[in-house]
Amino acid sequence: MQRNPYLPLPMKLVKNYTETEDKLIHTFTFQFMSEEDEKSFPYMPGQFAEICVFGKGEAPFGIASSPTEPGFLKFSVAKVGVVSTALHLMEEGTMVGVRGPLGNYYPVEQMKGKDIVIIGGGFAFTTLRSLINYMLKPDHRGDYGKITVIYGARNPGLLLYKDERDDWSRRSDIDLICTIDRPAEGWTGKVGFIPTVTKEVAPSSENSLAIICGPPVMIKFTQPELEACGFKPDQMIMSLENRMKCGIGMCGRCNVGNKYVCKDGPVFTRAELNQLPNEY
Amino acid sequence: MRMQKLASAIQDAAKKLLEEKKVDLVVGFSRGSLPLRSTPCFIRKPEDAAKLTWDCSCENNLANYLRRRQDRVAVVAKGCDARSIVALINENQIDRNNLYIIGVPCSGMVDRVKVDAALEGKDLIDVEEKGDTLVLKAKGVTMEVKTGDLMHDTCKVCRYGNPVVYDMMIGDPVPAKPEDNFADVAAFEDLSPAERRAALAAEFSKCIRCYACRNACPMCYCTECFVDCSAPVWVNKSTGTDDNIMFQAGRVFHSAGRCADCGACDRACPMGINLRGMTRKMVKEVKELFGYETGVNLDDKPALAEFKADDPQPFLVKE
Amino acid sequence: MIIAKNALPGLLDKLIAEYEVYAPVKEGTYSLYKQICQGNEAYFGYLNSKTPPKGILFPQSEKLFSYSGAQMEECIDSKKKVAFGIRPCDARSLLLMDNVFKNDQYTDPYYMNRRENTLLVGMACSDPAPTCFCTSMGSGPFDKNGLDVLLTDIGAEYLVEEVSAKGKELMAKMGLSAAGDSQKAAAAKAKESAEVSCRVSTDALKAKLDGNFYDPIWDSIHEKCLGCGSCTYSCPTCHCFDIVDEAKDCNGCRVRNWDSCMFPLFTLHGSGHNPRTSGKERMRQRVMHKFKYFVDRYNDMACVGCGRCIKNCPVNLDIREVLSDIQGS
Repeated sequence: MQRNPYLPLPMKLVKNYTETEDKLIHTFTFQFMSEEDEKSFPYMPGQFAEICVFGKGEAPFGIASSPTEPGFLKFSVAKVGVVSTALHLMEEGTMVGVRGPLGNYYPVEQMKGKDIVIIGGGFAFTTLRSLINYMLKPDHRGDYGKITVIYGARNPGLLLYKDERDDWSRRSDIDLICTIDRPAEGWTGKVGFIPTVTKEVAPSSENSLAIICGPPVMIKFTQPELEACGFKPDQMIMSLENRMKCGIGMCGRCNVGNKYVCKDGPVFTRAELNQLPNEY
Repeated sequence: MRMQKLASAIQDAAKKLLEEKKVDLVVGFSRGSLPLRSTPCFIRKPEDAAKLTWDCSCENNLANYLRRRQDRVAVVAKGCDARSIVALINENQIDRNNLYIIGVPCSGMVDRVKVDAALEGKDLIDVEEKGDTLVLKAKGVTMEVKTGDLMHDTCKVCRYGNPVVYDMMIGDPVPAKPEDNFADVAAFEDLSPAERRAALAAEFSKCIRCYACRNACPMCYCTECFVDCSAPVWVNKSTGTDDNIMFQAGRVFHSAGRCADCGACDRACPMGINLRGMTRKMVKEVKELFGYETGVNLDDKPALAEFKADDPQPFLVKE
Repeated sequence: MIIAKNALPGLLDKLIAEYEVYAPVKEGTYSLYKQICQGNEAYFGYLNSKTPPKGILFPQSEKLFSYSGAQMEECIDSKKKVAFGIRPCDARSLLLMDNVFKNDQYTDPYYMNRRENTLLVGMACSDPAPTCFCTSMGSGPFDKNGLDVLLTDIGAEYLVEEVSAKGKELMAKMGLSAAGDSQKAAAAKAKESAEVSCRVSTDALKAKLDGNFYDPIWDSIHEKCLGCGSCTYSCPTCHCFDIVDEAKDCNGCRVRNWDSCMFPLFTLHGSGHNPRTSGKERMRQRVMHKFKYFVDRYNDMACVGCGRCIKNCPVNLDIREVLSDIQGS
């Protein structure tokens, strides 16, 4: 019989980094305990894992690291409940369990040869970091056309992954546009809500795919802007969230219509979501 | 026949209220899909009022459907329902001005567990009301049982069969009953702690944590029930006997001074657990400590929502 | 084969020597499937159990693994079991549950281990209840599908039919005498006269559910529902569960408990957002899951017509009426 899907892989917390100014989001780096363990966890950008804090419970988080970054897994976690709070307080060196990789992933095969527009809001950017790093890897970069990234947050202190953003800003093979809601001292970048900035950037929909991750309200208002640029429902890709437990399509709670977000998703195209009831 | 007359009167009252647009909705009972069962029914059109019924199977506490409503509602209320309504009004969960109470004096509702016991577990196929008896028919069995013998134990000791608050009363008041001596609770109190523990364990090993008891209770309306709290975990969600007892004990304590002893929890339990054993112990304590009975007086403040200087303090160590 | 009714406890004792045996046991006015230690504990004067026998393979609360820090110990039960006296509807429910616990990517070792190590000895329904509608849901009072052995009550005896190879193997060890023609005829007669009087039409159901997600009918269907878990916990095909930790510091265990889509917490996000905010959405989910989504995924309705939800519902919310109302809308 295959490996028990409920049994997590032991991993060690090597870095507990306070990602945002308000301290509500930390980025955790977990190290695989052996090469064998790492081989048993082959993942792709867009997938998630259930992080198990022994004594507290498990919770699902999108994987922020890219499979092109070997040896460890990164997750960015907001403090909202029992498990996330325990993680935030966790000392480096503590062992946790990680179950995964779970879910489907961004359609990197279909994305080949196309221009990619990535739009992320707030801390939904986690799996987008994975995707961007994956695409920027020298072996992969040539597979994709123009890469445009629009990343917005309420204020500069809430934007994740400063080091990555600095790196991406310096590169010529990726166009990173960061924006914040209202002007802030020291901020020289764009100011404006994501839908507005999307309209300004007006990415071409020709031979393009758009990947949008963010809170429901952001998606609600950004989608029409993309549609105005000509993006069809099968050109818009989203990652859904839902309350999850098993992560393997058995406990029945994360369904949207007849699809399980944990197993048939979390990545869906707009076209696929249009077939499903609006219950997410 | 008396029940049919009451049913007709209820239908007429509901129809009139809806025709005159005095209310938007009438909550009552209609015929259930099984013999000797009624089901809560929501009537919004005058012509649908004919669906309303009344008989000895109208067991649910309809006050459960009246909390925090925006519409004007009429409710068909038995004595126990009326007490719950009073309790909810006093907790600001019901706006008295938007509620029309069709009071129906009640001499008791049948206990489905007693019917099952009488039929020795066979499924009831048909029932006929014959004066003060019920003729129960199951496969290969026909028996005549006094309706009074099938009454739920709650109804047997209920002294508030006549609704304490109403806008109209349908039917004649029911005769007064002797004072409730809480003999059932005294029997439990006579047990030693170990015996009590064993008695509770025997009952609560059957609990499947479906929360029918909690959801059937008009007074259980917390947006987050303590069982669902994850920080801290007050009670485990697994079905261990101790956790099952703790859940019910927590619920009973949260209902202290608010429980109208309507028995809805007991009736709702699919496993036939003796929930009244716990709820009535609390009702007895509240009566003895504070001289208070829930929901019998609109002007009363809920017992645990106030204090008096001479409240009993048996927990103090006195000089 | 044949076994006299008064010899059945003896047969059960023989099984108990080798297997964990689960049989119906009388509990007050109802019966439950419980593990028996002696053959005479079993009670067969029942129509069906209060709660379904799914608990034999999928207990209401079970330890997945225990841990001390990151040191984990799996708790997988591979003991050989016999589920004795289960009804054809319940046997069918396990076939439906198999779809859930072994999907195209993952296998649930807890359920599947028990499943593979449990023999199902069924008891045909000579006397279906008025609330039974198994024949409308792909089963029937004498349906052998999913069983290893089927017993039929023919008066002072049971006719014992081997259904599967495993069943044949099991009964070969029991030393029963062969059935005569008159006994076989009696069993055939019992099958013929077993009538499931309640018919629930589902001809128009799928088509309706494919298109009525936003229909106002859902406003009225749920109105009397209390939102408790009686129906889901009574249902042989309900499989939803919760996973929690029960621990002190970092020593404890990961536990799986039955959960219900009728509870508000079921879909509550950490952010506070809940896609199913009221009883209406949750009732709709229950009906959609059983009669549309399960059909979309596995080509079968997740209902076997056992009628337990109908009998156990505190407010007499009847699924048969719900299905009829939906199709009539």
